[in-house]
Amino acid sequence: MLQMNNVSKVYQTEMVQTHALRDFNLQVNEGEFIAVTGPSGSGKTTFLNIAGMLEPFNEGEYLLDGVNVGSLNDNQRADLRNQKIGFIFQGFNLIPDLNLYENIEVPLRYRGIKANERKRRIEQCLEQVGLASRAKHLPQQLSGGQQQRVAIARALAGKPRFLLADEPTGNLDSLMARQVMELLEQINRDGATIVMVTHDSELARRAPRNIQVVDGQLADFTLYQGAQTIKTASGV
Amino acid sequence: MFIHYLDLSWRSFKRTPLVSFLMVLAIAIGIGITMTSLSVYHMMSADPIPEKSSQLYSVQLQTMDDGSTWWTEDNMPLQLTYQDAENLLNAPTSEKKVAMMRTGFSVYLDSDKIKPFIGNARMTTPDFFSMFNLSFLYGGAWSKEQEDSAAPVVVITQEINDKLFAGKNSVGELIYLDDTSYQVVGVINHWPLNIKYYDLNNGAFNQVEELFMPFSLIKAKELVSWGNSNGWKHENTPTFADKLQSEQVWIQFWAELNTLEQKQAYQNYLLAYMQEQQKRGRFNRKELEYKLRDVNQWMQYNNVVTEDNKILVGLSFMFLGVCLANILGLLLAKFLRRAPEVGVRRALGASKRQIFLQHLVEVAMLGFIGGMLGIVLAQLGLMGVGQSYDYYENLATMDLTMLLSAPLIAITTCILAGLYPAWLVCKTNPAIYLKSQ
Repeated sequence: MLQMNNVSKVYQTEMVQTHALRDFNLQVNEGEFIAVTGPSGSGKTTFLNIAGMLEPFNEGEYLLDGVNVGSLNDNQRADLRNQKIGFIFQGFNLIPDLNLYENIEVPLRYRGIKANERKRRIEQCLEQVGLASRAKHLPQQLSGGQQQRVAIARALAGKPRFLLADEPTGNLDSLMARQVMELLEQINRDGATIVMVTHDSELARRAPRNIQVVDGQLADFTLYQGAQTIKTASGV
Repeated sequence: MFIHYLDLSWRSFKRTPLVSFLMVLAIAIGIGITMTSLSVYHMMSADPIPEKSSQLYSVQLQTMDDGSTWWTEDNMPLQLTYQDAENLLNAPTSEKKVAMMRTGFSVYLDSDKIKPFIGNARMTTPDFFSMFNLSFLYGGAWSKEQEDSAAPVVVITQEINDKLFAGKNSVGELIYLDDTSYQVVGVINHWPLNIKYYDLNNGAFNQVEELFMPFSLIKAKELVSWGNSNGWKHENTPTFADKLQSEQVWIQFWAELNTLEQKQAYQNYLLAYMQEQQKRGRFNRKELEYKLRDVNQWMQYNNVVTEDNKILVGLSFMFLGVCLANILGLLLAKFLRRAPEVGVRRALGASKRQIFLQHLVEVAMLGFIGGMLGIVLAQLGLMGVGQSYDYYENLATMDLTMLLSAPLIAITTCILAGLYPAWLVCKTNPAIYLKSQ
């Protein structure tokens, strides 16, 4: 599903050169649920942005569902992102002027889906996150947890095979965080591949596979299989 | 997607009403001022008779002896002498031609119900009406016989007919011009002429005359010109007959030449005429010279649209530029503040091109609204211009071309102003805003 080979990302200013990712290797298989942990500034979010094609990388190779991302232009990357990837952000990132229905509609419009089909999908997604009755509400009329559920509904509406979640529970209390996590687990069980960046080690442990990023490199790899824990330094 | 972009633009307008209103106001003021000056310029420079402007030629003859100079750019007198005009009128050539002169009379009826007033008159030949596409409400032009015999007849305008005869068919009625009675033979329909191109001597934007009468009456009644009468050498002209035979120029002359062959033949005739006059002691020149200028060339030659008007249009466009510079600044602030939302849209699958188009549609909408408001301001401006001078009354209007141009100019210039902010916002890195939002 996702394969990164020796991917490097350098942020360059006049004075400083910062290696956000260096020789980063990772393979994510279809249907996996991976938690990415690591200290602040380790490169987790950079990895997620590159995985979501929101940022270019300097070196290496990135294949998403067999497509070499490095060879795509902006339009092609936007299309691929729209069709294959769903984003869930820590700050929800709902558009404040649009009601819930319209927020979920955004990615569907960019995909060129017809109005009837959009309506059907939006209603289905709102139903799935338990907010069907709030379709006409504006984001600021909802609690944080509800907003994150809308963001998840928006990510799901395009039926992506790959969900990228950046601290999806970071702004939520523990009860709401648990609800959102359960929702993500359900989505994973339904077949979506999920990569979730989190600081919360307890939450990370709920994911079947953990990776740790330190100084822009994959430092640790943990596979949870029931009560057993297998550690390895390889990301593959 | 275009409708969706329009919807987003309208929401954006409502979200920041003050900034949006300021931008619309800036566009409206810029467009209002630009369209005011542009409309006046457009009306001034518009072809007054597009259906045949390239077939009507003003005739100029170089009557001056070698060594004499005139103030025109090509040293040619603008009008003809009476004797040349008369000779050219009587030439055995087939084309339509008219000689003419402006004069005036005190106009009254044999009735105490109408107060006497001063009326402007055009002394001309019968072809004037068909050459310049005038139509008749009642009656028609005077006959050739009436022209030849200097018959006391007159064609009046619809306005004068309304004033004197309450709009009734006045053909056959008598009106008094100075001390003589003249019979009305025709009433012309309203003739809305913005530029009095057929006689530019006393201002290009004056009203057309109210009375039209046989040219032959000039000699018969010894009528003096109310236009320009110029000479290039000292001549003693104590009597009217002397003036008619003098080298003074005071008659306008036009010919209708419908084909190139006709024009060539007429040019040959003019040359032959001058050569013949040379034998009689006139046109003492090494090189004989004449000019045939069609309506638009004639207007340009006479500087109908002055340099001042062109500078005014230029200045108004510069003012529009200043307004757009302000709009550009406001757009930059507005669009960049929206960068986080753009980041979300990019993450959700919008391409840079789609973001760019969305923002261009928004500036186009601002331009459209500003353009519409600008038309209202331009109308107010034109009202002001129209009231400043009488002769601006007809010119200070917006025709359909200008009405359609206003939003088009507004939208185009706004898009130009919005290109940079739209480009800037679409190329921002979405990742920065997604994390920080």
